[in-house]
Amino acid sequence: MIGRFRPGPRFFTEDYSLSTYCECILSPMSTRHILLGLLAGGPSHGYDLKRRHDERFPQARPLAYGQVYTTLQRLVRDGLAEVEGTGSEGGPERTLYRSTEAGGRELTRWTGEITPPAPFVTNEIFAKVVVTILAAGDPAGHLQLQRAAHMARMRELTAVKTAPGADLTTVLSADYALTHLDADLRWMTTTAARLTTLTAEVTAA
Amino acid sequence: MSTDDNGTPLLAARGLVKAHGKTQALRGAALELRAGEILAVTGASGSGKSTLLHCLAGIVRPDQGSVVYGQERLDQLPERRLSELRRTEFGVVFQFGQLIPELTALDNVALPLMLSGAGRREAQGKAGEWLERFGVRGQKDLRPGEMSGGQAQRVSLARALVTGPKVVFADEPTGALDSLAGEQVMTALVHTAREAGTAVLLITHDAQVAAYADREVWLRDGAVVSEHAQQEMAR
Amino acid sequence: MRNDLRLAVLLTRGSDRREWWRVTLTALGALLATGFALAAVTIASLQGQYSISFGDGLLNHPGVRSGVILTLLMLLIPVLGFLGQCARIGAVHRDRRLAGLRLAGATPRQVRRIAALETGLACLAGSSVATVFSALLMLRLWNHPTPLAWAGIALVALGVPLAGAVVSALALRRVVASPLGWVRRVRPRTGRGPGVAFLVAVLVVVVAGLGAYASTFVGVPGGFGQVVGFFTGPLTVFGLVIPTGLGAVWLAGATAGLTGRLLAARAESPAVLIAAERLRDDPWATARTHAAVLMVTVVGTGFMGIRQVLLDVLNNSRPGMTAEDMSFYTTGIDLTGAAILVALAITLSGLAVGAAESLATRRRGLAAQAAAGVPHDVLGRALLLETALPLASAVALAGAAGMAIGAWYAGFADGGGRPVPYVALLVPLGVYASCLLAAATSLPLLRRSVHPAELRFT
Repeated sequence: MIGRFRPGPRFFTEDYSLSTYCECILSPMSTRHILLGLLAGGPSHGYDLKRRHDERFPQARPLAYGQVYTTLQRLVRDGLAEVEGTGSEGGPERTLYRSTEAGGRELTRWTGEITPPAPFVTNEIFAKVVVTILAAGDPAGHLQLQRAAHMARMRELTAVKTAPGADLTTVLSADYALTHLDADLRWMTTTAARLTTLTAEVTAA
Repeated sequence: MSTDDNGTPLLAARGLVKAHGKTQALRGAALELRAGEILAVTGASGSGKSTLLHCLAGIVRPDQGSVVYGQERLDQLPERRLSELRRTEFGVVFQFGQLIPELTALDNVALPLMLSGAGRREAQGKAGEWLERFGVRGQKDLRPGEMSGGQAQRVSLARALVTGPKVVFADEPTGALDSLAGEQVMTALVHTAREAGTAVLLITHDAQVAAYADREVWLRDGAVVSEHAQQEMAR
Repeated sequence: MRNDLRLAVLLTRGSDRREWWRVTLTALGALLATGFALAAVTIASLQGQYSISFGDGLLNHPGVRSGVILTLLMLLIPVLGFLGQCARIGAVHRDRRLAGLRLAGATPRQVRRIAALETGLACLAGSSVATVFSALLMLRLWNHPTPLAWAGIALVALGVPLAGAVVSALALRRVVASPLGWVRRVRPRTGRGPGVAFLVAVLVVVVAGLGAYASTFVGVPGGFGQVVGFFTGPLTVFGLVIPTGLGAVWLAGATAGLTGRLLAARAESPAVLIAAERLRDDPWATARTHAAVLMVTVVGTGFMGIRQVLLDVLNNSRPGMTAEDMSFYTTGIDLTGAAILVALAITLSGLAVGAAESLATRRRGLAAQAAAGVPHDVLGRALLLETALPLASAVALAGAAGMAIGAWYAGFADGGGRPVPYVALLVPLGVYASCLLAAATSLPLLRRSVHPAELRFT
């Protein structure tokens, strides 16, 4: 997760919430593979796919119908899916899609591939601590404030996952976010304990 | 989540100082716990978390400072009354050790009721209900050594809550558990405490556990890093 | 071997306070054992008729000497019980340390040797002190000790530490077998039956006692009929009592287990519940000391009965007896009584040590109980009940057995028809009361044990 931090104002804005987290988690994944996965169960309409996606990943940002449509067309272009037929009872577009053999192979390849551990971590908190030291500010105070913000967020996520009736999908995605926030916190705690040395090192350089 | 200062706190400590031999465990710690509130006390190991809990629960007497519970000064009460308070008004959950190894889960939970004068059958009946609430009724005839850590800890919660206490003191209740078992224990504790309106003082070094609380105070070198300061800075 | 010795010394030095208690008390037990054994051996080395200016002529005749020897050897039984109890002090720490050694790569043989050396050295310390003092005492009392006496002394002085070492090596066989299991294990458990080591030791004492008893008759020309006859009866009875010691261990464990099971289901008060469940869980924990209590009760009650009858006989039916003759008998009786009192004292010390140790081992859990609001007096009552409950029925049974001895003797001594010596019934009562007192000595420790510092689990 840390690897997916996007620098910029977004990270600390008000809508930084569970769904932001899950979007961060899900968006880099290719939507095409998710759709291929949903098609693996049998032929399906575009609208049906969108609905099933939103059900399956409730904390993620809902798929736009247009995105589903273009992705399906690309899948057909690449030979990974094909049109099964077109329904005509009322409604707007009722094209039925199904996965091809190549699509099945692609899906197997994708699921068999491990997700690479984030090779490079952009750490905004660390950058801010160093800059605060350079500007002769109060890095300890900054870390404490950051800690309070992290804790507040963790309490919210915990409330979401312990709410009565929370389904496992919600619990697991909240857990994912919590674990990563916790990692941040631990890092901040050890950093706070070593600020004196860090200050000496930064100011000496 | 009560950050307003209206209403008297259930438990209030001021200027707590306590030394263990040459180590100064507490240096002026102060804290308020409101009725029904779940408060996490966090801090590095050696920051005085456990000693603070011991002072607040009337298990040890602070060298200086006051602990007020309701109308009583815990730091001045005789041991007999403290023991009675801990038995009836407080519940405690430690990392381990609060269950008697030779007693079954059922008898362990029934014990506080028997100590308060209930008959064995009656106490066992109520204990059974509490085991049920924590999902460990099936283990009622097992002894602590025969249960998993998570089950034993849920039995401990039942034992702490069976007398309908006003405050539950939990010292690293998930410290010896893996994260899944820890989650089950914490969820059980938080749900039951909220249902019963019991305040919880939760000592932990684990932020994920602290996140179950309504509020967090951070302890460093035996003193609470001012909550106010934290909030000011957050603004 | 040199390295093992060095390690043993290092480990002993680095061990905590409770382990020092174990070493000290083990040495003390070894001292007592050596003392009694030395006295027995020295007296056994005498052959035939002597005139000894000590103990009102009790040591002059071989037949009487055999009784003295037997009494001394029987005193070893409570000492063994005491030693067994001492071995439990800090046992958790010791076992963990040794298991740690195994994990660090020591071979089972090395670990066994180190443990044996530790105990052996403690016993050697005790036995050397006893040997030096006994030798000095003997030189004062006896102008020309025979080589046989010296050989016996040497044998005992070396035998006691050797036996201690062997027993401790045997006792550690489980630690040696599974180092991992014992490192993780928090709660010590006593074996399922009476300690094999204890049974073997009792058996050895019995055999040795009978041997010594028989040896005093070697070369006796005969004709001590009256005196020997007078003492053979009681001595045979005592001889029969020894095998009952084996039963006593079983009885102690079985009553503890049964009492625990029966009461645990019905207990209405927290203290009884806690005590009963502890007994049910580990009935053999105190079986050794309790067995010694039972033996003392049987012997003590029996002795009181016999003493009553004997004095009755002496006072009434032998008008022609001189004061000197009379003092010969009364001194014998008094000395036997004193021996029984000594045995009782040792047994009670074992009991007190056991109670203190059981408290010390559980101090963390007890502190948690106190923190949770279990009042100190409930914990204290539970502690006392743990001793009181199983002993009540067992001591009653032992008292009845001792009473039977007295009654049987009353029916047979001097033609029979003597009144049954009911006075002896006071003995089991006294023993029971003193056991409770001994257990109560650990109550002040309870207050210290439940200190909140024990709650710091780190």
